[in-house]
This record gives sequence, C-alpha cells and structure tokens, in this order.
Amino acid sequence: MIRTVNLSKIFRTELVETTALREINFEVRKGEFIAIMGPSGCGKSTLLNILGLLDHSNSGEYYFDGIEVSRFTEKQCTMLRKGTMGFVFQSFNLIDDLNVFENVELPLIALSIPRSDRRKKVDAILERMQIGHRRDHYPRQLSGGQQQRVAVARALITNPKLILADEPTGNLDSHNGEQVMQLLEQLNAEGTTIVMVTHSLNHADRAHRVVNLFDGQILAERTDRIFEPQQLS
Amino acid sequence: MLFRRFINDSLFSFINLTNLTVGFATFILLTQFIASMFSWDKHNENYERIYRVQLFQDQPENRVRHSSSITAALSRHELTKLPEIEKIVLMHDVGDNNKSGVFLSVDKKDQFLIRYGYYADQTVFDIFTFEFIEGVPQKALTEPFSVVLSRTVAQKLFPSGKALGKQIYGENKVVLTVSGVYEDMPEKSNWQPAFLIPMQSFTAFTGWSDYTENYWAYSFYTYVLLKPNADPANVDAQIHDALKDYRKEHYPYLRPMSMLYIKAYYQNDMLIALGLFSFIALLILVLSAINYINLQTANAITRFREIGIKKTLGFTKKQLWSQFILESVTLAFTGGVLGLILAHLMTPAFNRMIGINALTSIFSDWKLVLIMLGVSILTGFLSGIHPAFAISAFNPVTALKQKFIQEETNGITLKKILVTAQFSISLFLLIVSAIIYKQTAYMLTCDMGFESQNLLFANITTNGSGSFDALRQRLISHPEIADACQADYIPYILPGGNEMNWEGGDPEEKVFVRISHIGYDFVSTFQMNITTGRNFSREYPADLDKCLVNETAVRVFGWKDPIGKHIRTNNKNVEVIGVIRDYIVFSVHNPTEPHMYRLLPDSISTDKVYAVRYLPGHEKEAREIVRNEFERAFPLDAFEFRHIQSLIQNENAALAWQRLMKVSGFFALFSVIISSIGLFGLILFFSRHKMKEIGIRKVLGFSFTSLYYTMASSFIRLFIVSIFIAWPLSYFVYLYLPGAHKYGIQLGEFVLCTLITLAVAVATISYQIIKAVRTKAVEVLKDE
Repeated sequence: MIRTVNLSKIFRTELVETTALREINFEVRKGEFIAIMGPSGCGKSTLLNILGLLDHSNSGEYYFDGIEVSRFTEKQCTMLRKGTMGFVFQSFNLIDDLNVFENVELPLIALSIPRSDRRKKVDAILERMQIGHRRDHYPRQLSGGQQQRVAVARALITNPKLILADEPTGNLDSHNGEQVMQLLEQLNAEGTTIVMVTHSLNHADRAHRVVNLFDGQILAERTDRIFEPQQLS
Repeated sequence: MLFRRFINDSLFSFINLTNLTVGFATFILLTQFIASMFSWDKHNENYERIYRVQLFQDQPENRVRHSSSITAALSRHELTKLPEIEKIVLMHDVGDNNKSGVFLSVDKKDQFLIRYGYYADQTVFDIFTFEFIEGVPQKALTEPFSVVLSRTVAQKLFPSGKALGKQIYGENKVVLTVSGVYEDMPEKSNWQPAFLIPMQSFTAFTGWSDYTENYWAYSFYTYVLLKPNADPANVDAQIHDALKDYRKEHYPYLRPMSMLYIKAYYQNDMLIALGLFSFIALLILVLSAINYINLQTANAITRFREIGIKKTLGFTKKQLWSQFILESVTLAFTGGVLGLILAHLMTPAFNRMIGINALTSIFSDWKLVLIMLGVSILTGFLSGIHPAFAISAFNPVTALKQKFIQEETNGITLKKILVTAQFSISLFLLIVSAIIYKQTAYMLTCDMGFESQNLLFANITTNGSGSFDALRQRLISHPEIADACQADYIPYILPGGNEMNWEGGDPEEKVFVRISHIGYDFVSTFQMNITTGRNFSREYPADLDKCLVNETAVRVFGWKDPIGKHIRTNNKNVEVIGVIRDYIVFSVHNPTEPHMYRLLPDSISTDKVYAVRYLPGHEKEAREIVRNEFERAFPLDAFEFRHIQSLIQNENAALAWQRLMKVSGFFALFSVIISSIGLFGLILFFSRHKMKEIGIRKVLGFSFTSLYYTMASSFIRLFIVSIFIAWPLSYFVYLYLPGAHKYGIQLGEFVLCTLITLAVAVATISYQIIKAVRTKAVEVLKDE
C-alpha cells in the first residue's frame, strides 16, 4: 500500500539546516499494523506527516497504492486524503467550538455526504466507540480517554484504508491507553492498515512490525507478529 | 523586555501603535477644532465684558426673529442711563456692506471697492482691542472727516510709504484724512472692519440728520462694555421694554461676545454640528480603544507559553496582571505621545484645509498635552484590563500545553460585543461623515431656486438719470449677453420688509413680508420660475400697482387661488398677478420668508443693483461689454461687477459650513483608516484563534472555499447585526442635522458606506484566512 524510495526531508531556517529524514526506504502492506519508535526529534512525526500528505519530502519517492504522490499539489493531496486516510493525534485536535457529534461529522461534510446519511453514520460510530451518550458535549467537558475516542471515531467515520496515529496514547493514562490500543487492534483485525508512532514499547509490541528511527534514519526493523495477508480474506 | 517584544512582533506592534497614534491625533485635532470654534474674538482684552445689543422680535410670522441691528435712538438715549454700562459704541455701515461697499481712491482714478467700512464712535477703541501701526487710538476718531484704515486697505491705497495724515476720496465725492492705521483684525474675529469713519460725520455723508431720535430705523449696531462685575441680566431687565412705545413686540437684550460666533441669534445649528463632532471625536477614541483591546487580546493568545512558565515559576496572578497592565499602559502612552506629535505635524495642513488658522501649535498648550497624556494612560489602563484578566487567570498547565485559548462562554459574548461594536462604530462613523458632508455640500450647492452661474452684478449709486431699458437693449444686442435686469435687491442681499394684512386674513393679524422692487426682466435674468399667473409685463402699464409674491407667502396667507387676491400695505391694496417659485433669499441657513415683489419703474436712479447674465464660456467678453456699456451709462460713478457666486460663498454661514464640510471629510477619511486597522486586528485575533480549527479542517480534507466560508460567515453574521445598529443611529443623526433646507437622504448612501466597510472587512478577512489556510496544517497542529 505504501512504499517510499530514498525519502528525505530537510528543515531550513536562516541559521540552521536540520535533516529530519535521511533516505528512508520503507514499505507498508495492506492490512499491516506498523509501529514507529525512536527518541524525541528522530523524525517519527515528520515521516507520519509525509505519509499522511500533510507535508512534502525534499527528495525521494512516495508511492501510495502504486501511485507516485510525493509531488502532488495541495489540492490533489486533499482529494486523496479525504476518505482514504484517518488521523489520530496525541493532543486529539478536536475543535473546541464544536460538540462531539459535530466534530465526528466534519470529515463527512468535507466529502459532501448528505445530512441524513451523516447522521446515521455518526450515530453508529459513536455507539461503537461507546460515547453515544456524550454526543452533545463539548471537548472540554470530556476526559482525555473520551476525547481520544471521539478523535478515533472522527478518523474512522469515512472508513479509511489507512489510519495514521501520532502517539495516540501519549496523553492518556494506562487504562484509557489500553482501551485505545484495543480499538486499534480491532480495527486492524477488520482490515484497516495502521501506522502508529509511539514511545511505549508495550504498545509497539502489539504491532506486526516495529520500525526504529534514529536521527532520521531507519536503524532496525523488528517483526513481532507474523503478518499474513491471507488473514484478510 | 517590553522593547524586545516590540521588536519581535513588529507588524503587530506597528498596527497597534498606528491605531493608537492615528486615533489620538484625530481626537486631538477634532477637540482642538471644536475648542477653537468657541474661542473667537478672544483677542479682545475686554472679551468677558463686551456685549452686543440685539433685538428679539416676537412676531409669529417673522422667521428671522433676532436682529443684530437696532435703532440709534435706543443706543443714544436708553442705554446711556444705565449705571452698569461703562462704554457704548454706536456704529453704522458705510454704504451697505451687505450689498457691496464703497469706492476709495487716492487720486479719483484708481478706485478700490472696499467692503466692511463702519461709522463708529471714538469709544470703539475703548471697547475693542485695536493694534495701531500709525497714529494713536486716543484721538483717531475725534476729528470730523477723518478715517482710520486697516493695514490691508492702507497698503492698497498707499503701497509705498505712510498713510497717516494723507487724504483719500470716498466715492469721488468726499475727502477724508487718514488719522491712523491699525493691524488687521485676527482671523478669529467676528468683526472685521476695513476702515472706520467718525460717527459725527454720519449726517454730513448721509444727509440723515435726526437719526439719533429715530426709533424705527434698524440699521445701527451697538456694542457695550459692562463695568467689572456688572450683571448683564440687570441690563436686560432694564432695556427689555425700552421700545414699547414704538414697536410693542420688539425687545432689546445683550448678547455676550463669547456667543457671537457660535450662537449669536439662538440658532442651534452650529452647536448641534459641533456637538455631533464632539460625539464623533469621542467615538473615534472609543473605536481606537476597542481596536486596542482586540489587538492586545489577540496578541495575548500567542503568549500562553510565557504565562504557563511564569506561573510555574511562582508568579502570582496579580504579578502577571500588573505586568500586562504595565505593558498596555506603556504602549498606549507611547501612542499618546506619537499622537500629539502627529497632531502637531498635521496642524498646518488642517488649518490650510479649513482656510483659517483655527488651531494653534499643539505643544504650546501644556494643559492639552497633559490632558491628552492622561487620556492615553487611562485608555491603556482600561483597554488593558480585559486582556490582562483573560491571560493572567489562565491555568498554568493548560497554558503550557495549549497553544490556543479555550473558548469560554462569557468570553464569546464579550468578544462578540467588541466585534459588533467595532463594526457598528466604523459603519456609523462612515455614514454620519457622509451625511454631514452631503448636507454641508448641499447647503452650499443646492438648487437655490435661481441659476447662480454666469451672472454678474454690481451695485451702483448715482445722481444720474435715464432709461434702463435703453441700456438693456444695448447690452442684449451683444450675442454674448443673454439678459439683464435692475432691482433694488437680488438673492443673497436681504431686503427689508413690512407688516402686512392680506385678503381673507384677520384684519388684526399682520405678517412680516419682505419687499423687493424688480424690473420686468428680473425673473428671466435670474431664471426663476413663475408657478401661477404671470410676470410683470411691459404691455400692462397698470402693473406698477400690482405685485408678485413667492410660494411661501401664498402658503402663509392660506390662499388656494392667489391670482387676483390683495395684500394691504401702506394703506393700499395691491393685487397679486403671479407667484414666483421659492428661492433662497438670503442663506441656506434660513427658512424662506413671505416675499412681495413690486415693479420698478424704468429709470436709472439712486441706489440699484444691476444683474447681467452672459452665455456660458463668454465671461471675458461679457465683462468687457458690461464695463463699456455701464461706463457709458454711468460716467461719473464707480462700480465693479462681481459674480453672484462670490456673494453666496462669502456669506458667513456658508463659510462656517464649508469648514464643517471639510472637517467632516477629514473625519470620514480617518474613521476609515482607524476602522481598517481595527478590522485587521480583529481578524488577526480571530484567525490566530482559529488557526487550529483551520488546521484540523484541512487535515480532514476541507476545500479552500468551504474553509473560507466557515471562517468568514461568523464575521458576516456580526456585520449584519451591526448594520441594524448603525443604520437607525445614522438616520437619527440625519433627522437632527442642522439646516433649514435639508438634502434628501438616499438609501444608496447607506448601502455604499456599508459596502465600503464590508469591502474593507472582506479584504482583511480574506488576507488573514488565505494566510491561515496557506499555512501547513502540520505547523499548526504540531505537538511540542
């Protein structure tokens, strides 16, 4: 599903030039659950942003479903992103002025889905995430775990092929973190491809494969669970 | 630290300081302008004790109910008895200053038409402050046939050398000896005498011998100097009934010099206009302050990290609060200083714009400087309170974690109020400036009921005789001359009048009707309209005993069919043959009064006004023709043809209104500037707050258009609310706007001003939104 060839990213300011990613060659197969690990500043989030088409690389190629997308225009990126990818952030990134229902509904509005369909889908996903009773609450009225479940619901609402999660459990206690991990595993079992950045070894172990980044380079890859594509059926 | 912040966020600080500087400078200039309107005539040392004797005419139909001219007898007999009065000066126009003036010359050849000469008692120098360049005031007006010249007139007559002791000719008929020269009156003097002649020579010049016993002729002016601590109300009480034996409803009273420019005759026009200006000046200041609050709060949002860290390090809420207040006050104070400097720099331009040196140097007035600095500190303090509270009350953990402020319910309301206030004030200021501008412009250029372009006139006093028709025929035989007429009064030269009965009215009831005598061709020369009946005609010799009236007269008399009705004047019934459409007789300031027109016999005699209409574009030729023909007809008399426009534009009210018009244009410009700055800051505030939302929406795949719509719609909604506030308020101002002849307000003006404000708003919104949308989503959403 994802393949990168010599992907590099350099951040430039007036004084310093920082290499965030150095010739990354990396592949994610359909249905895989990948964890990216590494110390702060190693380029994990940058890689995730490039994979999510939120940022562009300086050089190298990025194939998504076999198409070279690294030179896509912003508009093309947006078109590809919506409906295909879902994002989960460490700090949830919910919109404070909108309630739970409205937050989850947003991606559907971006896809111009009719109101009645939106309603059905949002209600269904909220039930599934067990936060249906909170649909009229605002983010600041929810606990961290609840907020993250809303964020996951928002990421799932369009049935994306790929979920990009940037430290989804980073702001949660172990109990809530575990719940989110179970949710991701369940989604993966249903066929969604997941790329997750995490600091937690424990959570990384739940993935099929762990990629270790250090100073913008892939140090090692480790396979914990055998990924068998035929599982998908 | 503060300075470093300033440098670091230079765009923001620049906007913030510009807002304050322009706001303060505008406020200073406007308050200074308003103050200057109240400081006329202050060059007189006795300013506090000088009063003009005026008349109140308590007659229902007399629209001009106050008069600054009174009778000489009142001045000479009644006033002299009063112990409160220290000095009295009796004055009279030389010639008729309202119409034209008199010709002065040194050699009977180079004639100068000089307006605003006065006969005056010697006491004029005791009451008013004159600065003598030649001679001394003590005996300047003691000798008969002496004349005291202003510097301007002296320089015209004697371009090189002294004038004192020299002789000049008045109208080629009398010889006067220059007994002194005084400096021209300061610009802010209501009374601008060009020259003075002793009152004792009045009879010799005018042949009017018993004027001091005359209680009926209202053509004299009297100013008095009260003794220190004398109560003017006492004088008023004693002179109130002084005319009861002559004119029952006419009551003399004193009007203090301080009122003569602003409100000489109890007309509130100027006061209303100035009140409106004060209100606008205050609004501009408030607008600046609101902008400042919005900008400061917007800026504060970016400082949560600083606050979080400081709180963690043990700073108390109070310490943070004082820090922000101090910053706010320092910035506002800087704005105040810069505002003073800007106002100081703009003063000369402002004075040039309004045509008089109304404003003095800002820094020469230390009281003003102190007050303005106080106002700026207060503005800084009051504007700083909200942002300081909003910031310092923030929870340190959240402040550290969050890049953006959390919305709070009451925060929304306050912010919405500020935004709506900002929009409303901007819109209101713009519409009101436009209304004031249009009204003042209208008062100067409105349809006057006659065509004032391409029209020359002259006032000629002659001992000669002859037929005017013959002169007229010669004039119009030139193709450049369209028409010509004679009259005793023309528009903008106000005729006198009389109290009259009318057919169908109560015989006991009388109405004050103004009377002009006009030639056959008056109506056509001035391009007036006859609405009913007919004009005077050479084919009806009996027209000499008939009259025309204006529409106001018909209305006042309550006539349905005016033709054939009669007016009773001087014990004679005069039949009405036609009605002239109302035109502006004297000034746009005054309502039209009933007017009666009698036919002037075809003869050249004594004191008449001659008006000549020429074809557009032929002024030069027309002036040549007119000069030749009139020199032929009046070989012995001096005259000068002028544009009637010069009468209209030099009318005192018109001058004052012209100034107001320019100042209101100035307002409009600056309110647009300040509003734009405010909108810019406001939207900066919102978009900084909305950055996160824009980022999230972008990640979720929203298109530019839908992002734009989401961001702009909340502003547009508030803008619509502000329309509902600003429009009615502006209309209210229009209703109370001064002016007897009001321009018809149009919806288009409101719409146009709204569109301008909206355009500024949309432009700024777009700039900010595009900037925000262009920013990479990751930048906005990046976790620390």
